[in-house]
Amino acid sequence: MIGKSFQALDRILRGEGTSPEAIQSGEIQFPLAGFCVVGIALAMVYGFCMGMFSLFRDVSPSIGHRDQYLQVLAAMVKVPALFFLTLLITTPSLYVFNALVGSRLRARAMMRLLMAAMGVNLAVLASLGPIVAFFSVSTPSYDFMLLFNVAVFGISGMLGLLFLIQTLNRLSSTNTFTAPTELSPVGDDESTPQGSHSTELTEPTEHSTTPAAIDTIPGQVMGQHVKLVFRCWVLLYGLVGAQMGWVLRPFLGNPELPFTWFRGRQSNFFEAVLHTLGRLIGH
Amino acid sequence: MGRDSSLNRIEPSIAVVRRWMVRTRLDTDAVLLNRLSIETHPGRLLVLICLFAFISGAVTGSFGAFGGGNTGQIVYSAIKVPMLLLITFCLCLPSFLVVNSLLGLRSDLRIVLQALLVTQSGIAIVLAALSPCIAVWYASDGDYQHAILANVGAFAIASVVGQVVLRRCYRPMIAKNTRHQTMMRLWFFIYAAVGIQMGWVLRPFIGSPSAALHFFRQEAWSNAYIVVWRVLVRTLFG
Repeated sequence: MIGKSFQALDRILRGEGTSPEAIQSGEIQFPLAGFCVVGIALAMVYGFCMGMFSLFRDVSPSIGHRDQYLQVLAAMVKVPALFFLTLLITTPSLYVFNALVGSRLRARAMMRLLMAAMGVNLAVLASLGPIVAFFSVSTPSYDFMLLFNVAVFGISGMLGLLFLIQTLNRLSSTNTFTAPTELSPVGDDESTPQGSHSTELTEPTEHSTTPAAIDTIPGQVMGQHVKLVFRCWVLLYGLVGAQMGWVLRPFLGNPELPFTWFRGRQSNFFEAVLHTLGRLIGH
Repeated sequence: MGRDSSLNRIEPSIAVVRRWMVRTRLDTDAVLLNRLSIETHPGRLLVLICLFAFISGAVTGSFGAFGGGNTGQIVYSAIKVPMLLLITFCLCLPSFLVVNSLLGLRSDLRIVLQALLVTQSGIAIVLAALSPCIAVWYASDGDYQHAILANVGAFAIASVVGQVVLRRCYRPMIAKNTRHQTMMRLWFFIYAAVGIQMGWVLRPFIGSPSAALHFFRQEAWSNAYIVVWRVLVRTLFG
């Protein structure tokens, strides 16, 4: 099951899982449970790489080594929690936004789409894990590592969201345009690209002709207002993700403080990042 | 006999890398792609990288030996230069491959890997080719700071050649799909960013005459970027 889920994630990364013919049914095909397990595993891999920072730091004698191991464990639990909780919180709003702009995507298809986007996000994140682990081991500065991790989460998040927007675009287009194409084989301007795709598909095509997972397919362009609505949602997702990260902190663990699972309610993510940047530059 | 056969295996690989170092402008993209996919043997190139980086490292570490000091640094550096090239390469590879897949370049993955290996080999060959010059420098000038300068110069030249080879290897791929251009720049950026920190962590390569012999510096590991930033701030603002 796990192997199949990894293959499914790989197909999604390569763009085969979200190619026009693969999403004819209106949703992305992958085993949901196995995909969750793969997602958790990838997030845990990144959590471990992140946790290396606490393992390799000199801590004051009052803190002790047990806290360092606990911090690694905490990071391995919290990274998956961060992603799944953010997903849980933002799904209803995306569903509503999507309905507002008139897409006929069903709740199940929406859930699968979000899972796939999270899979892409986690795959990029985990693949950056070795670099993060290396910097975690060799960098004593807590501030530097904090910002480094924020940057890595930012990069992978952006790629994940780019995939989400493009796939949403494809799924919406498939739903909207399939019916008219069937009704009128000649097709109007909008259905022509769809038609040309299906003729391409009957010919033996190479892998390279599959559009990339984050490509815009010609002729499938979202309207201006739809674009605006989704951009707003992406912003919301980013904000919720960042604040969720803040609620679940500490991930890295300040070497000067004893281990805690959570910290008190104070400040916010953006203020903290700015403060950290100021401290790092001001040295 | 053994030496002959291993030399026979290495020599064609050197010839392959050399052909990427000389001008490729006259060759068509198809010829270049064919050359990358058929002539390049990843295993042999890896052996070549290890061998030439080993030679370069041994010479870099011989600074103390020229002054009649410790010779242990020769062995340490001979191990560390291949480590620098290969560990950096391995750390950068996963994210590079995932982003390549995401940009729809999975079908070219094998050829991309071969291009990267040719580039790494180019760097190792240039480093090894410059090592006799480094040795002459060590023999004629006993100043540690000058030795550092000579090695920085050699690494800078090797990096420039690496960049040139990378561009030549990527040219036919970019002609096929312009997204490869983004990936080529991304590789250069990730590799340089990780390589700088790796070089910093693996110090000393030359071995200060006043310091005792150690594989790593005895002080705690630090971050190259923070160190450079602090030096810059101190220099500019006092």
